[in-house]
Amino acid sequence: MSDNAVEVKNLTKVFRPGLKKEYVVAVDNLSFEVRAGEVYGLIGPNGSGKSTTMKVVLGLMAANKGSAKVFGLDSGDIRARNEIGFLPENPYFYKHLSGAETLRFYGKLCGMKGRALQDRIAELLQLVELEGAANRRLGGYSKGMLQRIGLAQSLIQNPRLVILDEPTAGVDPVGSRQIRDLILRLRDEGYTVFLCSHLLEQVQEVCDRVGILFEGRMRREGTLDELIAIENQTSMTIENASPELIAEIQNLVRSHEGTRLVEEGHSRTSLESLFIQIAERGREGKS
Amino acid sequence: MSDDPPPSTEATPRRTPRAAGKAVPIFSLGRVATIAASTVTQLVRMKTFYFLLAFALVVVAVGNFNIPATPAKELSMIKKVAFGTMDIFAWLFAIVATALLIPKDVEDRTLYTILSKPVRRVEYLLGKLCGVLGVIAVSLVAMYAICALVIYSRESLFVSAEYEAMVASAQYTAAEIEEQLSLIQQQGLRAELGIAVLASFFKAAVVAAVTIFLSTFASSSLFTIIVSILLFLIGHAHHMASSFWLHESENNMAVQMLVKVIKILIPNYQLFSFSEGIVQGEAVVAALVWQMGGLTAGYLVVFLLLSLLVFVDKEF
Repeated sequence: MSDNAVEVKNLTKVFRPGLKKEYVVAVDNLSFEVRAGEVYGLIGPNGSGKSTTMKVVLGLMAANKGSAKVFGLDSGDIRARNEIGFLPENPYFYKHLSGAETLRFYGKLCGMKGRALQDRIAELLQLVELEGAANRRLGGYSKGMLQRIGLAQSLIQNPRLVILDEPTAGVDPVGSRQIRDLILRLRDEGYTVFLCSHLLEQVQEVCDRVGILFEGRMRREGTLDELIAIENQTSMTIENASPELIAEIQNLVRSHEGTRLVEEGHSRTSLESLFIQIAERGREGKS
Repeated sequence: MSDDPPPSTEATPRRTPRAAGKAVPIFSLGRVATIAASTVTQLVRMKTFYFLLAFALVVVAVGNFNIPATPAKELSMIKKVAFGTMDIFAWLFAIVATALLIPKDVEDRTLYTILSKPVRRVEYLLGKLCGVLGVIAVSLVAMYAICALVIYSRESLFVSAEYEAMVASAQYTAAEIEEQLSLIQQQGLRAELGIAVLASFFKAAVVAAVTIFLSTFASSSLFTIIVSILLFLIGHAHHMASSFWLHESENNMAVQMLVKVIKILIPNYQLFSFSEGIVQGEAVVAALVWQMGGLTAGYLVVFLLLSLLVFVDKEF
C-alpha cells in the first residue's frame, strides 16, 4: 500500500461539449500527491479543473490520459471508494429522509448495520451538532445544516480520506466557521482531507499544503509557508508600544544600509472574524 | 487582532494517519436491498400512492352503475372495466415512477454521494428496479383488494337478490336455482383473477425495465416519460403493424430490416394481454403463465444489461 492517500499522475481530461467538434481540455497533464494525514487544498478559479480532478479521483469520471490512485488502488476500484468520504458542492440528499435516516442509508451502503451503525450515527450527529434535528426531514434543513449532514455522511464508514468540494459554498460565515472547525478536528483525528475551494482565506486556515490550479494545469504547489512567505521581508507585531519606541525602531531601521520600512500600522482583524465575534456575542447575550 | 487559531504550516504532518478499512465484497445484495428500500421510501413519501384513491373512485363508480343487463353480464362488465383500469394504472405508474428516479438523482447530485460509496453501478440500477417493482407489486395488491371488495359486494348482492326472486316465484327447482347462481358466481370473484393481476405485474415490470434503460441516457424525466409511453403504444401494436409492413414491403430490404430491428428492440406488450381472457372467465393455462413469467424475466435481464452498458461508463 502506498503512503500517499492520493496520487495523480499526468492526468488529462478532455470534454467535447454537445456535438461540437472542438474539445475543451479541463485538466492538462496534472500530477500531484496528497500525503496520508495531511490537509491538501486544491485552489483555483471557477473552471480551472478542480471538480473534474476530484471526480476522476472518486471514479465518477475516467481520465483520457494518466492515472489517479487512492491509497495505491486505482480510483475506479470499489475498494478505493470504501476509503473515501465525499461531500460534493451544494449537496442535495434525499429530501424525504431525515438526518438520521440519511446517515443510516449511507452507512448501509457501506455495509454497516445494527448497533455499530446506530452508535456511529449518534456519534456523527453529535460531531456536526445536529442531534436536535436528527429526525427532521432534510427538506427543512438550512444550507449550513445540509453541509454539516453532508460532512457527517462522508464520514459514516470511517474513511481514511475525506474529499470536500467547496465545503462552505453558499454557507453564511457562522456555518462556514463551524465547517472549518470540523475540518481542523478531522485533521487532528488523523483523517486525510483533500479539499477544493476558491475561498483562499479558508484554505490558508486549514491546509497543510496547497496546489494552485489554473486552466487545468498546476501552477504552484507547496506548503503554505513556501507559497506565501516573502523571503526578504519580516513582520513584527508589538503590543503597547509608545510613540518614542516606534520612532526609535524607525531610526534603527533607517540606520542600516539597504533596509527599508515597508509598512506600519495597527493590526487588523478580518471582517469574517469581526462578524463571528459580533454573532457570538449576540448569541451569548440571548442565552 | 484575530482570535483565530494560527494556520498550520507543517510540511509533514505529525498526526497519525488512520488505519485501512475492512474489505468490501465485490457484489452485495445488501447494497441492492438498501437502494431498493430507499426507492420504496422515496416513492411512498412522494405520495405516489395517492393514485390509488383515483383508482378506488373509478372502481366504486363502475360498481354502482346500474347497467341494464343480467347480473352475470353486469359483473363481467364491472370486472372488465376494473381490471382494465388496474392494468392502465399499473403501467402508467411504472413509467412515471421509474422515470422520476435516475434523472432526479443525477440532477440533484445525490448520485455522486451514492456512487462515491462502495456501490457498483449494477447494484444501483438493480436496487432502483427492485424498488420500483416492489412498489408496483404493492400497488397492484392494493388495487386488486379494492376490485375484489367491489366485485364481492356486487356478487353477494346479485346472488341473494336472484335467490330470493327465484324462490319467491316458486317456478324453479333447487337444481335450476343452483345453476343460475353458479352462472353469476362464475363472473364474480374467483381465485383465477389473481393470475390476471400477475399478468398486469409482468407487463408493468417490463415497462419499468424499459423506462430504466431510457432514463440512463435521457436528459430529463419528461423525455423518459414521453418516449416510454410511445414505446408502450408501439409495443402494443407493432406485432400487427410489422406483419403488415413485412408483407407490403417484400422487396424492400431496408424496411424489412427496420421492422425486424423494431420487433427485436421493443417488447411485444400484446403478449401480456392474456389476462383479458382470464377476466372474462376463461380457464387459466398454467404453462402460459410460466412462459410469460420466463419472458418477463428475460426482458428484465436484457434491459438491465442494456442499461448497464450505457450507465457503467457514464460520466457525471
